[in-house]
Amino acid sequence: MAPLTLLVALPLLGALAVAAVPRRRPEVIFPLAIAVSLPPLAVVLWILASFEPGDPGFQLVESVRWSAELGIGWRLGIDGISLFLVVLTTVLMPLAIAASKSIVEGRKAYMVSMLVLETGLLGVFVALDLVVFFAFFEIVLVPMYLLIGLWGSERRRYAAMKFVLYTAIGSAFLLAGILALGLAAGEAGGALASFDFRDVAALDLSVGAQRWLFVAFALAFAIKVPVFPLHTWLPDAHTEAPTAGSVVLAGVLLKMGTYGLVRFNLTLFPQASVDFAGIMVALGVVGIVYGAAVAIVQPDVKRLVAYSSISHLGFVVLGTFALTVQGIGGGIFLGVSHGLTTGALFLLIGMLYDRRHTRRIDAFGGIASVMPVYAGVFLFMAFASAGLPALSGFVGEFTVLLGSFPSYPAAAIAAGSGVVLAAVYLLWAYERIFTGPVTEPENEALDDLDGRELAILVPLVALVLVLGLYPRPVLDRIEPAVSAVLERIEAETGHVAPAPALELHVGGGEEG
Amino acid sequence: MNRADLVAVLPEVILLAGALAVVTLAVFADRPRAEWGTAAGLALFLAGVAAGVQWWALGDTPGSLHFSARGLEVLRNPMVVMDPYSALAGIAICVVGLLGLLAAWELVGSLGRRGPEFVALLLLAVAGLHAMTIAANLVLLFLALETASISFYVMAGFTRERLDADEAALKYFLLGSFASAIFVYGVALLFAATGALGIYGAGGLRSFFATTIVVEPGVLVVALGMLLVGFGFKVSAAPFHQWAPDVYQGAPSGAVGLMAAGVKLAGFLALGRVFAAGLPAQIDRWSSAVAILAGVSVIVGSVLAAVQRDVKRLLAYSGVAHAGYVLVGLTVGVFGLPAVTFYATTYAVMLMGAFALVGAVSGSGGGASPFEDWAGLGRRAPGLALAMTALLLGLGGLPFTAGFVGKLQVFTAAIRGGFLWLVVLALVTTVVGLYFYLRVVATMYFDDGEGAVAATPWTTRVVVGVAVVVTLALGIFPWPYLDVVRDALPL
Repeated sequence: MAPLTLLVALPLLGALAVAAVPRRRPEVIFPLAIAVSLPPLAVVLWILASFEPGDPGFQLVESVRWSAELGIGWRLGIDGISLFLVVLTTVLMPLAIAASKSIVEGRKAYMVSMLVLETGLLGVFVALDLVVFFAFFEIVLVPMYLLIGLWGSERRRYAAMKFVLYTAIGSAFLLAGILALGLAAGEAGGALASFDFRDVAALDLSVGAQRWLFVAFALAFAIKVPVFPLHTWLPDAHTEAPTAGSVVLAGVLLKMGTYGLVRFNLTLFPQASVDFAGIMVALGVVGIVYGAAVAIVQPDVKRLVAYSSISHLGFVVLGTFALTVQGIGGGIFLGVSHGLTTGALFLLIGMLYDRRHTRRIDAFGGIASVMPVYAGVFLFMAFASAGLPALSGFVGEFTVLLGSFPSYPAAAIAAGSGVVLAAVYLLWAYERIFTGPVTEPENEALDDLDGRELAILVPLVALVLVLGLYPRPVLDRIEPAVSAVLERIEAETGHVAPAPALELHVGGGEEG
Repeated sequence: MNRADLVAVLPEVILLAGALAVVTLAVFADRPRAEWGTAAGLALFLAGVAAGVQWWALGDTPGSLHFSARGLEVLRNPMVVMDPYSALAGIAICVVGLLGLLAAWELVGSLGRRGPEFVALLLLAVAGLHAMTIAANLVLLFLALETASISFYVMAGFTRERLDADEAALKYFLLGSFASAIFVYGVALLFAATGALGIYGAGGLRSFFATTIVVEPGVLVVALGMLLVGFGFKVSAAPFHQWAPDVYQGAPSGAVGLMAAGVKLAGFLALGRVFAAGLPAQIDRWSSAVAILAGVSVIVGSVLAAVQRDVKRLLAYSGVAHAGYVLVGLTVGVFGLPAVTFYATTYAVMLMGAFALVGAVSGSGGGASPFEDWAGLGRRAPGLALAMTALLLGLGGLPFTAGFVGKLQVFTAAIRGGFLWLVVLALVTTVVGLYFYLRVVATMYFDDGEGAVAATPWTTRVVVGVAVVVTLALGIFPWPYLDVVRDALPL
């Protein structure tokens, strides 16, 4: 039984099934694509059930060595750091596919791209071999390039190329770093090369080497996150991408960056992580404030949410490099929560766009009276995204702030302003779009959410609520792995993680 | 000549016999194209089988040396070497040659009575390419190089009613002859410096350097430099690449694939033979020169490819970059040869497929292949567009393609040899490569084009199919072939 291989292979098999649909039966494609996106979710639920919460190491490990010389193997594993990103991917993907009903032209290629994208993303999160990780990390570009370039809006060509080139530049340095590490690990193990993550993690690297490698890896991941000032591809890619593309892009693709920072930078280069933590924290805080401030003035609601992502991901970076269990774990939690809330916001914007074919805020006004259910869901997700207590965003951001305050009080306070600004841009946008009398005549007859759209949104609303009210089970699975990373940093460097400012007791967990 | 000597040159014998058979069948017996074409295909196939037999016969032995005639052993100057390296090269060159014949099949049909001449030249060229990889003597290598080159000069100008084809042929001829002259001058100087023309044997380069410490290397360095320049021309490494774009653009599309892929494949393997296997003792003298050549090639090739608006010119300039990537692997000498072999063989097959598609889209007898021909191909001919996308992503080195595995190997080898700066440089230019290959993909899928694409002949479909299958199969599951190239070492 190889559940992770199965998990990675299932979307690809689904893509093949969709590709095999004969040309004269186009009506099969949409339901079939939804159907084949569900088995990975089932596998993930099984993994979730069998996951050992207290175990900090990799679980469900599979290892097949492909080449002794090259040191490459099909090595997979999952731990608390990757578990919920895998869950997020498999939850969002069926919803994103179901939300793509308005894609008619080239629907088959679209669905194939989405499913290949899912395979790539899942592969990134479960790969334990650096070359396999890189292969998945890089291959994600192709379906995303096509999704943006073929089904995006006006400036799609520019946005698609910009997205690819930004990421690929980072990948170039990442691959150089991976090759150097693999050769060093091979030398240490008496082989020519080894790209096994566990071999690489066992390396004792000099501080100088750690710093160079940290920069190479961090550059690739910081572009992906994106960390200010490497973020300029993101607003274009998000705005031009089709709805489902934006959902997956914000929901999961960005998390490849934050995941990489925790999995590789913190774990493999402990001394360099401590050395560079200050810079990364500063960049994270700048991203929080900058993203939020720019979001306020956006006239396009999709662009607004795109900039809000920069702000939220700034929190994740801040937490990650606060180098405390709460900071890192809160960052991972916030990443998952951001995937749900921002994914939902992009879905909502896409549903509005399907009706009106514009995303300009000033094209709307007062539509709460014609679309009350839609307005309600939008407000709920806006609150969740802005970090209203009892919703998932609050748990993530608050934990990050708690985790970063002891080491970086000034940064935590500055980051706190991001929470306020988030309320400003989201609620101001809500006010302009939904409240008051209907301003434009063509908005008077807008249909409210239909059954399919509700079916897409309800799971997200439920998850946001559950994670907000009872986050403990999730945090309990994240924290052991994070503690292990942190213990390693403390053992290898002089770094001492400060005592938590406050234990979080959200949802009445039973921890002591 | 004993049996082993015959086996060593059997592919050449078969290919030359095939060329004679083609001419005889077509000119003297006036048989139809299907018959002499089959004879040519059979010759290429059998030559490949002969190379396979060599591989099988060698077994675990490192290889054997063969002399021009019995009795000359006293000179200890073997002419031909048969080792796993040359056997694999023979298989690869015959496969590429067969693909080249198939890709040129439509062109051959349109040439009418000159068709058989073209096919006979193609067989001669492949024989020359193969001889380059088995040559153990630099003079024989030069002769083989000229056999292949002269055949290709003529093939480049075969559609002589087109002015640009004439220009391409003349340019190819002049610059190619210039390169050959430099190469042979390098051979002469190497002889002056070492007294050796061969690689192996008691009078060869290897035994010279094993017993002699060169104190004043002046002539030797010039000789090595000239050999490198000569090879650099043939494999179109920058700054010796200027002929490539014009020649590729002017020559008939059906013939360009073999012209580009075949010469590069044989050129790289011969380069590996001479430098990595023949001059390992002098690696300190040539490895940094090769590294600089590689660095210049990846930069110049990538940057110039990025501004092209013609697919053939783009492939020509990107070929300069690919020459650079192969040279990256060569910097570490014999340890990099498996990587070089993997990269060169898979690149040759991908390039064959790409040029076959150029012929399918822009006409196999035609010259230029501007982006306008490719616009909207995703809708006009989805199969061709999909195949081209796969090949371009392979050339671009995306994961799960043979191009990625090849790059991974040459870069790993170079880092191991201490050329980290070169690898970082090459990786950054790979991103530029992604840009210009994706530009073609974008043109095919995001732009609107007009006009129907002519039906693709089955021969072209076979070439493209083989190239795509190789690109993906060796990208997803390269391990068996990696074992093969690991064992395919020169004597």
